[in-house]
Amino acid sequence: MPGILVIGEVAGGRLLPASLEAAAAGAALAKSFGEPLFGALMGDAGGALDSATEAFAAGFATLYLVEHASLHSYTAHAHASAAQAVINAAGPSVVICPHTLRAREWVPCLAAAIDTGLIMDCTGVAADGADLVAHKPVLGGGVVGEFVIRAKPIAPRIVTLRSGASARAADAPNAKVERLPFEATANDRVTLLEEIAAQTSSGPKISDAKIVVSGGRGLGSPDNWHHIEAAASALGAAVGCSRPVADSGWVNSSHQVGLSGNSINAELYVAIGISGAVQHLAGINSSAVVAAINTDAQADIFTRAKYGVAGDYKEVLPAFVERVRQLKG
Amino acid sequence: MNIVVTVKQVADPNIPPSHIQLDDEAKRIISPFGIPPVMNGYDANALEEALRLREAHQGKITAITLGEESSRDVLKRAVAMGANTAVLLSDPEWLHADSASVGQLIAAGIKKSGPFDLVLCGRQASDTDGGQVLHWIARYLDIPVITPVVKIDAVEGDTITVQRLTDDGVQRLKVKLPALLGVSSEMNEPRLPSMRGLMGAGRAMIAAWKKKDIPVELPAPRVELRKLAIQIRDSKAEMIPGKTGAEQGAALADKLREKGLI
Ligand SMILES: Cc1cc2nc3c(=O)[nH]c(=O)nc-3n(C[C@H](O)[C@H](O)[C@H](O)COP(=O)(O)OP(=O)(O)OC[C@H]3O[C@@H](n4cnc5c(N)ncnc54)[C@H](O)[C@@H]3O)c2cc1C
Repeated sequence: MPGILVIGEVAGGRLLPASLEAAAAGAALAKSFGEPLFGALMGDAGGALDSATEAFAAGFATLYLVEHASLHSYTAHAHASAAQAVINAAGPSVVICPHTLRAREWVPCLAAAIDTGLIMDCTGVAADGADLVAHKPVLGGGVVGEFVIRAKPIAPRIVTLRSGASARAADAPNAKVERLPFEATANDRVTLLEEIAAQTSSGPKISDAKIVVSGGRGLGSPDNWHHIEAAASALGAAVGCSRPVADSGWVNSSHQVGLSGNSINAELYVAIGISGAVQHLAGINSSAVVAAINTDAQADIFTRAKYGVAGDYKEVLPAFVERVRQLKG
Repeated sequence: MNIVVTVKQVADPNIPPSHIQLDDEAKRIISPFGIPPVMNGYDANALEEALRLREAHQGKITAITLGEESSRDVLKRAVAMGANTAVLLSDPEWLHADSASVGQLIAAGIKKSGPFDLVLCGRQASDTDGGQVLHWIARYLDIPVITPVVKIDAVEGDTITVQRLTDDGVQRLKVKLPALLGVSSEMNEPRLPSMRGLMGAGRAMIAAWKKKDIPVELPAPRVELRKLAIQIRDSKAEMIPGKTGAEQGAALADKLREKGLI
């Protein structure tokens, strides 16, 4: 009877959409293993957690809530201990979490603390008899590994799931909600001093946006970044970037798309001055239509793009933006 | 301040997808001829940061790796960049260890190498993209881990203040030493080894420890790799024609409109 436990993420005052994809993957596993599906959310009591509970509750036998003031601002220690409290209550055989920036820190802390098997950034999970099989891109995405965590003696087995890897679940009846008592243990070794929000572009959040317009090193200099902003604003899109752009500080890292940045879940991705390295493409959901503008007609990006323009963005993009504005009236 | 930096020799992450080769039996990626393995990029960032910390606070830097005999090369490079000492953990029995066991072994190697204040690791290795060995090292050393770190603000007494990347900015955290940090590429631009460094590195003393030196009982692997498969992308984009860039730009907008995408 153990069960599959999906731990959603509440951040920035809302349920991260990737939580619903993790729930869908969890539901499929629960069916294959013939085990119940549990959910869990962690945060401080009130506003965001309440609305997230509503958005997340569908399809679980039980949705566990850990509400505690120590979970208001994220720290790995508090998150891993809260997750451990849920695991103690639910006793799952598998735990699934969306592969967010936070999860990359606290989930391995949890796995190491309870000494269990973990595979991160999976693009698919499945049952193979009693074993858990996960597919995970390696070498930036040029190679895919098939990993297995056996049922015994390891429990629970933990995976984090890349966003854009699975469809969201259909509607299902809402779960019974159970609040778990949680005694936060003090962490005298790590103190959160402050959270500093970055100066980010206006427009939709990169992880939710239907359209993302991204610029790469081919922009040449930060002074040209306004071209990307203009295209994004004409399309009502979120702004993305490649790693060298973030590393050089042209824009904040929160815009970075790729293996070590955001996984997006867009319908349209416009890549400008981006060569198309596997590590960059790793962040683009497979269902996204990619349009690329690049001076090099042989650039790798054109093996992923559906539509390509071989040309200098300085000539191509202003006309593109103007035409978009006309079309959108 | 005594700093340990973990470094890993990896297949060059910029191998063109068409040149990737796999050793199916050993389930590993082979570096194709002419594209030699490199130091994992994030580890180079970690080592660079260690060098800067040593410039400011004195002390000693130990580079440590676990891998095949050929991983000596990555240690030589670390010494050439400026590490004081280097440790190679290599034993045929360890080559298929999972992340947890690799972490346990490296932690044992760090303990054996002497007292330390700070462990710097790259946030992940670019071959396995695993991102968890650092957490296992921290667990076996019983020290806190913070990742991904983009800036070190200050070292004062037995604390370090760092900036950790979040979804919409950074967190500033004050951490008691000893601690382990997962270093991200935003932190710095790694230096190239100097000529003198390269020449000295050839003669560098590298401690090589095997199973008999690191008496750790490894549990059965928690995670097993069944197989690797190359991902081929061979589709071709529909190229938008036009006499000028401007014509192409307008035509691209029309195309996306026609397909209902904008
Ligand atoms: C472990 C690891 C993780 C990584 N994670 C990420 C990640 O998350 N995200 C990421 O993006 N990268 C990541 N990378 C880096 C990745 O390998 C590439 O180096 C990076 O994506 C290249 O960025 P780019 O395309 O902007 O730059 P470049 O590769 O330099 O490409 C610039 C492109 O611009 C074109 N260009 C130049 N001038 C013009 C012009 N005037 N008009 C139009 N086009 C022009 C050029 O033809 C070229 O194709 C990672 C690497 C490693 C090893």
